[in-house]
Amino acid sequence: MRTIRRHVTGALTAAAAALLVAACGSGTPGQSADEEDAGEDGAVVLEMWQDKFSDADNAWYKEKVEAFNAAHDDVQIRLTVVPGDAWDQKMKAAQAAGTAPDLYTLNYSEVLPRARNGELAPIGDVIAADGWEDLEERFLDAVTEDGERYAYPMLYEPSSLLFYRADLFEAAGLDPDAPPESWDDLIAAAAALKAAHPDIVPFQTAQNGVELSWTTWGLQVNATGHLPISDDWSTSLASDDGYLALLETYQRLAEDGLIAPQALSPYGDAAPLGEGKLAMQASGSWAISQLLLDYPDMIDDLRVAPLPSLDGDLTKPTGTLGGWSLGVDAKSDHPEEAAQAISWLLAEDVDVVLDYFKDTNFTKFSPRISVAAAIAEEDTSVNPWLDVMTERVVPYQVLEPTYDWAVSLAFGTAMEKALQGQDIEEALTTADAEITKAITDLDLAARAGS
Amino acid sequence: MTVPTASLPPGAAVGSERRDSRRRPPSRKDNKLAFLMLAPLVILLGIFVIWPMVYSAYLSFFDWSFYQESRFVGWKNFSNVLTDPQFRSSIVRSLVFALMVVPAILVISFLFASLVKAVGARLGTALKVAIYIPTVISGVITSVIFLLIYQYSGGVLNWFVGLFGMEPQAWIADVRTALPAIAAPAVWLGLGISALIMLAGLLDIPQSYYEAAELEGANWFQRTFYITIPLLKNIILYLLIAGFTAAIQQFELPLIMTNGGPLDSTLLPNLYLFNHFRTDTFVGTSIAGAFLLFIVLGSISAVIFRLLNSDKAVDG
Repeated sequence: MRTIRRHVTGALTAAAAALLVAACGSGTPGQSADEEDAGEDGAVVLEMWQDKFSDADNAWYKEKVEAFNAAHDDVQIRLTVVPGDAWDQKMKAAQAAGTAPDLYTLNYSEVLPRARNGELAPIGDVIAADGWEDLEERFLDAVTEDGERYAYPMLYEPSSLLFYRADLFEAAGLDPDAPPESWDDLIAAAAALKAAHPDIVPFQTAQNGVELSWTTWGLQVNATGHLPISDDWSTSLASDDGYLALLETYQRLAEDGLIAPQALSPYGDAAPLGEGKLAMQASGSWAISQLLLDYPDMIDDLRVAPLPSLDGDLTKPTGTLGGWSLGVDAKSDHPEEAAQAISWLLAEDVDVVLDYFKDTNFTKFSPRISVAAAIAEEDTSVNPWLDVMTERVVPYQVLEPTYDWAVSLAFGTAMEKALQGQDIEEALTTADAEITKAITDLDLAARAGS
Repeated sequence: MTVPTASLPPGAAVGSERRDSRRRPPSRKDNKLAFLMLAPLVILLGIFVIWPMVYSAYLSFFDWSFYQESRFVGWKNFSNVLTDPQFRSSIVRSLVFALMVVPAILVISFLFASLVKAVGARLGTALKVAIYIPTVISGVITSVIFLLIYQYSGGVLNWFVGLFGMEPQAWIADVRTALPAIAAPAVWLGLGISALIMLAGLLDIPQSYYEAAELEGANWFQRTFYITIPLLKNIILYLLIAGFTAAIQQFELPLIMTNGGPLDSTLLPNLYLFNHFRTDTFVGTSIAGAFLLFIVLGSISAVIFRLLNSDKAVDG
């Protein structure tokens, strides 16, 4: 009897031990940690995560990763496309389990916060000096902390443009060649469009707190000359009276019924415009690509202009230059190989990256001087609004801020309160208090970039 | 079945206790076997519940980011959560949400179970299958279905209210309607299992009680309020606690349908924690918040128990 009990106890202990070992092993079911790192021929396997972008973007990543794998016997990349709405939780869970990908896509506003938190490996020494020298200075700065480089920039794109229907403008008695330059002009145009086309929503922009948080960074600077937190992240500036005009403008749009009470699509999606449900829409340059590919019949009736400025001065920022880069996880077992893969994909052969801009119809810009020069040699007529972006938008926009999301969300919530018809001054007072709390709770001043 | 003490001979209960006290204590061998049989469950519980809870409690006192040396911060994470108006209002909102969802589920389930009990077996089976279908549909699918229903442009509900001359409404983008709008699918999702449990409780009540009451001239309301509901007390208690706990922890519907908006009007505690988990650089806040939510849920369950007092049913 004692022997049987010992056997049972032993079996249970073994089962428990097996569970513990399993819990400490691979993050991929049915695969051990060792298997993940080694390919069939002993090649190093790099896990790469890519945000899910448009079909054209995704196709470029797939094609270039396959080309990389074909060109390298000793290093192979395993690409995973992650939907944007699942990215944060998937990444956090992977980081917690120690199974974060070796390299992944990062937007510029993420790079320095992640670098300061020790999440990214420095890659400055692995990528050749030529690669770094080829970058525009402002994008080099966007990935540099204390003289060290933490990601390699791939592209940038204006996040705020005004798309409008020329045919509807004409029918409403508006000049399609003279788009609104101030928000008062835009409101007047929207009112005229509403009167002429009662079945079409006159205007759409970001209309919920989260989207308002990041899509209005440029307008926040437009309104006051600064963001709602001081440059050293020590003081909230949300109570600046200059923001009243911005919130009043949004409130007027809602009160006058010039925007739908519920947005017809997310900020980044131009489908309602392509489907003829909207007369004007604020969105980023990526929407051009979507409209060119999905709604070619609508292109002749569409126009693109800079998003209006509060006072009509279009040399002031009204949006940001967002964009994407690739970085290496600080806990990667193969940081050097991962950085070399980034170099191959983004920093070496101009043609590799040039294909990306061709595939996306030249609706985005390259931070690499040599690639930008190569684009200038191409026939870019597929994007009829490239000149508008190049000459009237890009030079005046600001880069995305790198402070904590809580600060952006506090201001975005104030904007949403304005849209919901709540008291504007109170909304800004609350935002000011929330930003002040975030500064204290998160010790932001100590985490401010150098 | 509870045997009334009065029906026993005098001294029987005392005698029974005396006999119990004379009984030999269980042998050590039996204890060991019991522990052995329990061991797998205890080990699994230890690995997947107890240890994570203990470790989480420990971590809630640290700034923890997976990449930096953890920094002990004492009660800071707890005080950050408790002083965050967003967290406090999410708790209050979850109670309002539960008050919208749970009573509605209980009332509809009761009416439905009464209907099923009253109709023939074949129709009853068809009704049971129909009411159970939402239970096997995932919350994600339900969210998408109701999103289509609530859509401002081209939504089914706006088409329907348009038939009565009403203007289209922004059901999930208006602070006044957003919470009720996500409560409706929560009721729909919770109805199936509640109705079947309620039906099981109804069928468990002896028919003789109703026959006796009818002979005494009791009408439907009297039979319902003096027989049915008192005898369903434990069922109602279970459904109340399970319903409140589930409603307060509702996560999928606000995440997919509204992402907590507009203006946090659908931000429930779990979504608050999830948002902090996915966006905060340090995860101490979400862990501390989860512990505080645990306390809230435990307190609510205790209050419901206290108010309703779970009794063993006095049945036939």
